[in-house]
Amino acid sequence: MNILVVLRMIPDSAGELQLAEDGRSIDREWLDFQLNDFDDHALEEAILLKEAGGAKVTAVAVGEGTNRVLQMAAARGADEVVALQAEEDAMISSREIAASIAAMARAKSADLVLCGVQSSEDVFGQLAPYVGALLDWPHVSGTNRIVANGAVLRVTQERGAGVAVTYELATPAVLGVQTASKAPRYVSGSKLREASKTPIGRAAPESSGFERSAEIITLRLPVQGGSGENLGGDAETVADRLVSILAAKGLARN
Amino acid sequence: MKLIACTEGHSSKIEAFSLEMIAAARSIAQAGDEVVAFFAGRDAEGASASFGAADRLIVARATKLDVIPAETYAVLLRDVVTAESPGLVLVPYSANGLDVAADIAARTGWPLISYVNEIKRHGESLTIVAQMYGGKVLADCEVQLPAILMINPGAFAEAAPGPIAAASVQTIDAEPTLASGKVRMVAIDVPDYADVDLTTAERIVCVGRGIGDEASIDLARNLATMLGAEIAGSRPVVDNGWLPKLRQVGKSGQKVKPKLYLALGVSGAPEHLEGMSQADLIIAVNTDPKAPIFNVAHYGATCDLFDLVANLSDRLRAGSGR
Ligand SMILES: Cc1cc2nc3c(=O)[nH]c(=O)nc-3n(C[C@H](O)[C@H](O)[C@H](O)COP(=O)(O)OP(=O)(O)OC[C@H]3O[C@@H](n4cnc5c(N)ncnc54)[C@H](O)[C@@H]3O)c2cc1C
Repeated sequence: MNILVVLRMIPDSAGELQLAEDGRSIDREWLDFQLNDFDDHALEEAILLKEAGGAKVTAVAVGEGTNRVLQMAAARGADEVVALQAEEDAMISSREIAASIAAMARAKSADLVLCGVQSSEDVFGQLAPYVGALLDWPHVSGTNRIVANGAVLRVTQERGAGVAVTYELATPAVLGVQTASKAPRYVSGSKLREASKTPIGRAAPESSGFERSAEIITLRLPVQGGSGENLGGDAETVADRLVSILAAKGLARN
Repeated sequence: MKLIACTEGHSSKIEAFSLEMIAAARSIAQAGDEVVAFFAGRDAEGASASFGAADRLIVARATKLDVIPAETYAVLLRDVVTAESPGLVLVPYSANGLDVAADIAARTGWPLISYVNEIKRHGESLTIVAQMYGGKVLADCEVQLPAILMINPGAFAEAAPGPIAAASVQTIDAEPTLASGKVRMVAIDVPDYADVDLTTAERIVCVGRGIGDEASIDLARNLATMLGAEIAGSRPVVDNGWLPKLRQVGKSGQKVKPKLYLALGVSGAPEHLEGMSQADLIIAVNTDPKAPIFNVAHYGATCDLFDLVANLSDRLRAGSGR
């Protein structure tokens, strides 16, 4: 089985996000970029599938810091790593890159495309259904378990309230991974150093093929705080206040 | 213009966000427009009994399955879109919607905006407020019709439930499409709520990724015990195996409405807020003053959660004379 897994580098949302001067994007100059969490799980699932039944895993990365993440992917077990070129200093729109991923899936004779179920920059739509529809392959998003039995996949999808649904489908297919069957593995420094010799292929992007798209006019930060009260940052004061707030509402135990 | 509101139901339960999709469509429908609800599933009766706020209802009726695979839902919806030529298709941000919205967008070539909170209409175009970066940034977008929107559950108040006139209901048979589908449903696992049911808990202490590691969960668990609260977690905490799945709050976890919700090191991503923003009293502790959880919190504190847990536990212990 040939697996293509997509790795998108996105701004670290836990860090501070500032708006760029044009008001249409975030200021990317001082940002830390990290691998989209869900893509990390997709990579792990790809490697687990390889370990379970044998597969060739190609990792394609896009965005800031792709070399670093592709070395990590190689260290974890990816057989081939490719950097997809993208416009610099721009957000990664899944709608824009879907055609490139679909083309690469064909070029690599992929049986399975894996990517994270979503990313924080996919405001114009999610990658798995775009790629699935462009290839006319079935797609399932929000998976937390994938088992391959030859060309038949058994995938479990999370729905609300802890309900899980299991589906069967044949490859070729596209899956949007929510959680890998096991937590993403840690790679040692020595493995990383070894993997740093892995040659990184380059791929030029395809045109998205979409004539019409929505447009971001402005970005803004939400008005902070709503109507809530800020108790400040001193733990002792906060604890004192909470004790009286809970007591006043009859919520401190007994 | 026609506006198609996509709705869902599983087993014999209509999803509440279905009525929100109809309300969202209604909110921008103009005189002469038609709001068409689309439903695929087994509970055709439930749909007819609930979607009276729509002008028309198209039901793709299944007879066997409790859950329609999104692939089949999308094929059925595609046919409806071709037949009706709507100006707008509204899809909920749900497990199903995640597969449906971009599929239809790719096949029609229409623009799509996801994670939508607000919609305003200006003739043939819309201005939209959508969420990005885990709710930390709002994007004001513009889009020309026809288009597709994927709407956040909770962004629109539900339309009033009520029956729709039988003459306005058109039923199609979903079975042939299901039979030829490429994705086959083989099992549904419904969790056993005997151990813990967060949805009925009066008090919840929820830990997020800020808790750092599994060992630290015990600190929060002790605090929860002192407060008479259930311990719960955000998705990464559960994914890491630090708490069982039944204790996850949010979109793919439980939707809770306790009297007290104490969130420790939870950022407040839209998928988390969906499960808890209706709680009576929300107290959030997060070192990042810009964390979106503060937008729904009644009380917020920016101290380190470990300092807070230690101090609060001390006071509660002293207060109870232990
Ligand atoms: C389809 C789908 C369904 C999903 N369903 C759910 C769901 O059901 N439930 C859910 O929770 N998520 C869900 N998510 C995931 C969601 O998008 C977020 O990734 C998740 O909620 C983030 O969890 P978190 O807040 O714990 O972690 P993070 O976003 O990493 O936040 C951790 C926070 O802790 C703070 N922090 C760190 N250290 C400290 C400290 N010492 N003291 C105080 N604060 C600290 C940080 O400032 C940060 O804000 C879903 C996503 C998708 C795509």
